[in-house]
Amino acid sequence: MTERLLEALGPVLTRWTMGGGAAPAAPAAWRDALGEEAAEAELRLLALSGHFLGSLTLAEPAGEIHALAPLPRLAKPPVPEALRPRARRLLQAVREPSRRRDLLDFLDARGWTLHPGDWLPGPNDEVPDVYTPWQDWAASADSAEGAPQALSAESWEEMAPAARRVAFASLRRQDPDAAALLLGQKIGAETADERVRLLSMIRQGLTEVDRPLLEGFANDRAPRVQATAAALLGRLGHGATAESDAAELAAFFEVQTKGFLRRTRTVVPQPPKTPAQRNRRFSLMQSVPFPVFAASLELTAEKLIAGWPWGADHGLDRALAGMAARSSPDAAVVAVAEALMTGASLDPYGLHSLLPRLAPAQRRSLATRLLNAQGGTYAQALIIAGAEGALDDALRTAAGIALLQRLQDSAATTGDPAGELLALGLLTTQAEARRALERIAAVGLVAADPRLDMLRLNAALDNGGTTR
Amino acid sequence: MAIDVKAVERLATDQASLKAAAGLARPGKWSGLGASHDAALIWGDCAGSGANPYRVAADLRDLGSKCTCPSRKFPCKHGLALLWLKAEAIAPFPAGDTPDWVSDWLGRRRPAAGSAPQPAAAPAAGKDLSAARVEEPEAADDPKAAARREAAAKKRGEDTQRAILEALEALEQWVGDQLRLGLAGFVEDATARCRRIGARLVDGKAAALAGHVDELPGRLLALPAGDRLRGATVELGRLVLLARAYRAAPEEATLRRAVATAETREALLDDPAAPRVAATWEVLAEQVRTRRDGLVSQTTWLLNLGATGPRFAMLLDFFPASAGRRAAVFTPGEQFDAEFLFYPAPLPLRAVLLRRGATREAADQDWPQPAPSLEDALTAPLLQEPWAAAHPLLLPAGRIGFDRAGAPWWQADDGSAALPLAGEATGLLTGTVLTRAAALWSGNRLQLLAAQSPWGRIAHD
Repeated sequence: MTERLLEALGPVLTRWTMGGGAAPAAPAAWRDALGEEAAEAELRLLALSGHFLGSLTLAEPAGEIHALAPLPRLAKPPVPEALRPRARRLLQAVREPSRRRDLLDFLDARGWTLHPGDWLPGPNDEVPDVYTPWQDWAASADSAEGAPQALSAESWEEMAPAARRVAFASLRRQDPDAAALLLGQKIGAETADERVRLLSMIRQGLTEVDRPLLEGFANDRAPRVQATAAALLGRLGHGATAESDAAELAAFFEVQTKGFLRRTRTVVPQPPKTPAQRNRRFSLMQSVPFPVFAASLELTAEKLIAGWPWGADHGLDRALAGMAARSSPDAAVVAVAEALMTGASLDPYGLHSLLPRLAPAQRRSLATRLLNAQGGTYAQALIIAGAEGALDDALRTAAGIALLQRLQDSAATTGDPAGELLALGLLTTQAEARRALERIAAVGLVAADPRLDMLRLNAALDNGGTTR
Repeated sequence: MAIDVKAVERLATDQASLKAAAGLARPGKWSGLGASHDAALIWGDCAGSGANPYRVAADLRDLGSKCTCPSRKFPCKHGLALLWLKAEAIAPFPAGDTPDWVSDWLGRRRPAAGSAPQPAAAPAAGKDLSAARVEEPEAADDPKAAARREAAAKKRGEDTQRAILEALEALEQWVGDQLRLGLAGFVEDATARCRRIGARLVDGKAAALAGHVDELPGRLLALPAGDRLRGATVELGRLVLLARAYRAAPEEATLRRAVATAETREALLDDPAAPRVAATWEVLAEQVRTRRDGLVSQTTWLLNLGATGPRFAMLLDFFPASAGRRAAVFTPGEQFDAEFLFYPAPLPLRAVLLRRGATREAADQDWPQPAPSLEDALTAPLLQEPWAAAHPLLLPAGRIGFDRAGAPWWQADDGSAALPLAGEATGLLTGTVLTRAAALWSGNRLQLLAAQSPWGRIAHD
């Protein structure tokens, strides 16, 4: 009946589409109800047609309906239901990608994930590895099959890029040589962005064995792939132009000897005579490997760091730190970080390039040192230590005293401490977050203040288990 | 944290505010009163003239307050009344966790320098608490004046009725014109054409119908291009049906609401036919839309978790867009006991909140079973009120999928039905089974309000 009526309405709809009377073409079953008067018949036919089409007919899908694969469960559970509103409010408050990453890192370190109803990553978002299954779901959600766990030449193409990177990192940790071999076979077919990402991953466990692979990228079609490979080669102390460039760079410095009994060697920068010279020096510091530069000055890496005039020129300090981060052994990286965070030369921004090469405990130690230094802030400490919720005693520092003072003095004109409270909440351990909430309440901030959301979330989240 | 009632007097912008606040400073006007554990914040819901109560919060440290009412006075009478309740301990403020809406407000405001109370700059002169408390005697009954008022009201009613019938005639003529000119042209030019007849309907006192017609182009353009001619036929057909139904029974309350205006809250309270339903409710969604006429409509959809009474309640309020963004009154997902008063109708749906209990700590009461026949649930309300733009329903277990053209569909788990979705479907909604879903069905598109899934509750914005 419905189908027959629908068919009979075809000519009616065609006439109305173009304009004009359709009553003469009305379905036979309705004609008696339309009456004799033409205008009235049109309206009655419209009422009947509209009612019929609006309530008794259903649209048909174009072809078969295909449901996406179910969203996979992650290795860590979503935050408990009771804390989701707070997590959602924090998500709204931290829309800037790096701050959002901090929140994700914090939850990850504590053993939780965001609820997929509140947030899902895009396929190419920079997020903690735990979200990889969701990234791959987002990228190819119609793949019903789960990705294989072990990476091999056979499974390389079967795996989605995010899952493959995680598997590759795992292989690199377990068997660096096999990882380098596999990369050499497969990387050529990847995009330039993916080649850079994959190549960067062999920083971990970089040895002379990787040299042939890296040298193979000297003529890569993408300059940024060439640059990545050159930086890694530089870290191994190799490079086509490294030695001549290093000699040119060394000429911008003079090594002087001081003291009679304990003769120490200091590196003294020679003032550039022209802006062009200054630019050249900067450019060379970007490309010359750290060990080669030290050798050109006839110093060991340790002596170069000990003799460097830290704090005299932050620009030079940061350039040397960048050089160390790109191309020096781990011990030298740690020594440069220590030098940057000591005494008058304290420069947290100079640390940025070194952070990926420092162990979490080293980063926490440096962050605590910063918090105790004059002018140190939680926001700076967060960049150094990362949002791992692992700093204890964070409030019993110079930065903590300054923050409590700001909160106590509501007439302060030093700006809103919301950013500091957020950073504090991301940095501290659960126990310290609870202590902080008590002390902040004691100076007069209302417990419900949304600026305390991160601290309250921290205080409520146990390690990957129950909440309070 | 104690406050002095004199401070309330100083805060009031004028004696009229104080007088109005005195009328509201009664426990019966309020529900959901509470205070933060540190006694710095108080809050409550105050019954107003609309379907939603006004949410009011105050910071006792500086006597700042916030209210969801559209008043331009600051503080408004509700804020003053809340402080008054506290100052004179007229009602208890049990200590509890600070609700999110209070925290949100706190996050947006920053107290003035210092924490000392900062009453309004206006001097206390001209305002008097004791005068505000005095109840004005009702005017003595004058039979002649009453008769005059009644006669005037009757005449106004007749004039309105005549204007509405003339407007409906103009509407039908306009619909006939659209058919003559062609629906293809109507779809192209729907906004301008609807605006013209909408204005005529406003002049003819058919305000509700004018709003419906104003929104018609929006509903039409939300459809895929290939479905708009069919959609135009349905929409114009609904207008004819409503006009005819109204002419046949102009005193029928459901039709008056759809064409002219709804009863006032006071009239509804006096109506013995209006059903009162006390149950546990879950807030499904809140929809806020700025309409073409400059009003903002705030629609709250609630699900009755009990066994009896209407399955859904719809709270509908309007306020001028110039009043600014209005804070949400309810939080999607929250469950609470409440009594609603429904506008009498064959399928009661629109309601006003009479009494609200505390929000349940754990929103864990299960949703009820959907109707046994999905086909009936889809069509019965449309046959009952064919002029309604959409009606709510509960769907059984199903999933969101996509057809070959990439259009999203809700499909029942048992494969018995597939319904096209309005708008896009993304995220978790497309990656899990929806064990239950609450949605609005317009006859050709499904708009999800909320769903339950193995991942928990999913809100659909």
